[in-house]
Amino acid sequence: MHDRDRIGRRVREVLAQVLDVPAKSIDQDFSATSSVAWTSLNHLMLISQLETEFDVVFSNQEIRELTSYTTIVDTLGRRLDSVA
Amino acid sequence: MTSDHRIDSATLQRIASGVLPNQPWSAYQAAARSLDRIPWESIPEHLRTRVAMLGSFTLDPFVPVLRVEAARVGLWLEPYVAPYGQYVSELLDPNSGLYRFQPHVTFLAIDADVLWNQRWAETQPLKSEPVVGGLLTPLFAGLDVFDRAGSGILVMNDFVLPRLSSEGVNAFRSKGTFAHTVAHANKHLRLRLASRDDTFLFPLSDAVAQVGRAQAFNWRTHYRGHVTWSDPLMRDVAERYVGFALAAMGKATKCIVLDLDNTLWGGVLGEDGPAGIALGPQWPGSEFVDFQRELLDLQRQGILLALCSKNNESEVLAVLREHPSMLIREAHLAAYRINWEDKATNIRALARELNIGLDHMLLIDDSPHERTWVHDQIPELRVPDPPADPSMYAGWVGSLSSLMVLRQTAEDAQRTRQYQESRVREEYRGAVGSMEDFLRGLGLRVAIDHVEDESMSRVVQLLAKTNQFNLTTRRHDEATIRRQIASGAWRVYTMKVADRFGDFGLTGAAILEQEADAWHLESFLLSCRVIGKSVETALLARIAEDARAAGASALSAEFIDSGRNQVASALLPNHGFATSDDGRWHRPLDLPGPEWPAWISPAALHPTGAVLTNSEGHRDA
Repeated sequence: MHDRDRIGRRVREVLAQVLDVPAKSIDQDFSATSSVAWTSLNHLMLISQLETEFDVVFSNQEIRELTSYTTIVDTLGRRLDSVA
Repeated sequence: MTSDHRIDSATLQRIASGVLPNQPWSAYQAAARSLDRIPWESIPEHLRTRVAMLGSFTLDPFVPVLRVEAARVGLWLEPYVAPYGQYVSELLDPNSGLYRFQPHVTFLAIDADVLWNQRWAETQPLKSEPVVGGLLTPLFAGLDVFDRAGSGILVMNDFVLPRLSSEGVNAFRSKGTFAHTVAHANKHLRLRLASRDDTFLFPLSDAVAQVGRAQAFNWRTHYRGHVTWSDPLMRDVAERYVGFALAAMGKATKCIVLDLDNTLWGGVLGEDGPAGIALGPQWPGSEFVDFQRELLDLQRQGILLALCSKNNESEVLAVLREHPSMLIREAHLAAYRINWEDKATNIRALARELNIGLDHMLLIDDSPHERTWVHDQIPELRVPDPPADPSMYAGWVGSLSSLMVLRQTAEDAQRTRQYQESRVREEYRGAVGSMEDFLRGLGLRVAIDHVEDESMSRVVQLLAKTNQFNLTTRRHDEATIRRQIASGAWRVYTMKVADRFGDFGLTGAAILEQEADAWHLESFLLSCRVIGKSVETALLARIAEDARAAGASALSAEFIDSGRNQVASALLPNHGFATSDDGRWHRPLDLPGPEWPAWISPAALHPTGAVLTNSEGHRDA
């Protein structure tokens, strides 16, 4: 079982860099609808940076759904568990 | 940071140094946002570089990478990104956002997909001519508009086959292949870009090879959102693009200062002796020969080489003159300091001798200790870290972005010789008494002309590069000058200078804007090689004479302080100009003068070009 807290910290860091928001401000409710910086282009770059950071490839379905902090952490947790 | 703090190159470099080479794109994105937070008004004009990017794919993610790499060399980059896929229409429309932006540099980034897409519109068998023509004809029409607009330089990449081809082992026999189409398009592109001084071919194929093709393109982001370049390719291209920006802003390196022991040869001359140093056709030593060859390639483009080494001068001169494998010889060196003084003192002396700013010099030294110490003493000096292994020197020197020469003129090829002549001249200066005696003894000859086709590129180069004796530091490109001359608004003067020690070439220029009853000095500059020879008085005398003949009643001028042109600040008061309420300087022409200096002979160009003769037609003794 991968440590969700550790995944959460790394996701927060990537989100903070790509979207230029303080890592502290990224909570469970942080999402594309709550952040103006989360544009479609930034979404594309965010996905690609997460793929590099966690060494995974997301499916089309996942890319469409990964629009909040919580879904990103949950999806990564599932993916990393199934690899382990 | 408050707005009354002017930031400098070092501040920008500090922000960029937070991003390390192996970090992902998101680190660039974060650093670019830090650059955004610097208040616009605190950025000095001479660091603001307007860069336009036009592309056939999504370039927005490339912008933060380019901005950070620009900051790494001390430039503030103001970007303009054309709307997606609009590169041809932006070039074609003289009122487009591109031209309104007035970029210093325009990068046109095109991937081979644009050829590929055309290909599928064709029926088999594939023919490259209509495919290439269909893309390049409108593009070249756009480049024609760009040339006329006079908007700085344009840099476009070659087409690169993005992946292994499936066209089969017999593809090489046929012209009906995609590989052939790419080669055909590149040939036409190269010819078109080479036909103008202000358009450049960027070898993307080199960058892709350097990164490795398999790592250069990110196919996932390409298909998901037309972001084609991978993180490593963006980084590599940005480092190379920055060289164009530096050169366009007049900040490229003019002189490389070289250490000797373990830099130009292996070992220590003072201990190993001339026969013991590693320099020759076999390893160890062959890697240093190759490194010297790369340095000579730079020297041939007009970048000066100088030596600075803790050694005994006579032993070093013996190696320069007699070592069979030494490629760099005395004739390639603009100056040298070989002694036991500290390197900072020696480099400052070299800067004074060559009349080059320390911020236009670059030190190559294998010793980390020397580099750190010298950089602490002279923060504006470029001091890159060479690879630890000398086998990598030759490849490394080509990667230094500040070593870029955009325009190579006849003067560039002669520059080292001119500095050597100036060394003899300085020795003579030490031997005479007064300044006027010195000038009289120089046997100065000056030829003043209006700009012509042959001298145009040199004038553009002088405008772009001259920082010291430059009244207004206005940078104009060739298209602007031609347009203004054609409109009758400008007269452009050129001045060639020679003395009895040698020929300086075209080293002065002035642009006059003809106003109602006055002639206005829009630009006035001297190359640093002829500062202190009073030739500026000759140029002003000729301008005043022409203005009187044309019925003008006054000359007007302005001095724009760039922070680096103090040497030009006395020009106007010394020649009878007085300040007036409109902030300009005026000089009525009913007053006599300025007088042509008695120690300068007006000269005419010898028919063969470079050599100046007296107006009587015979060579001066």
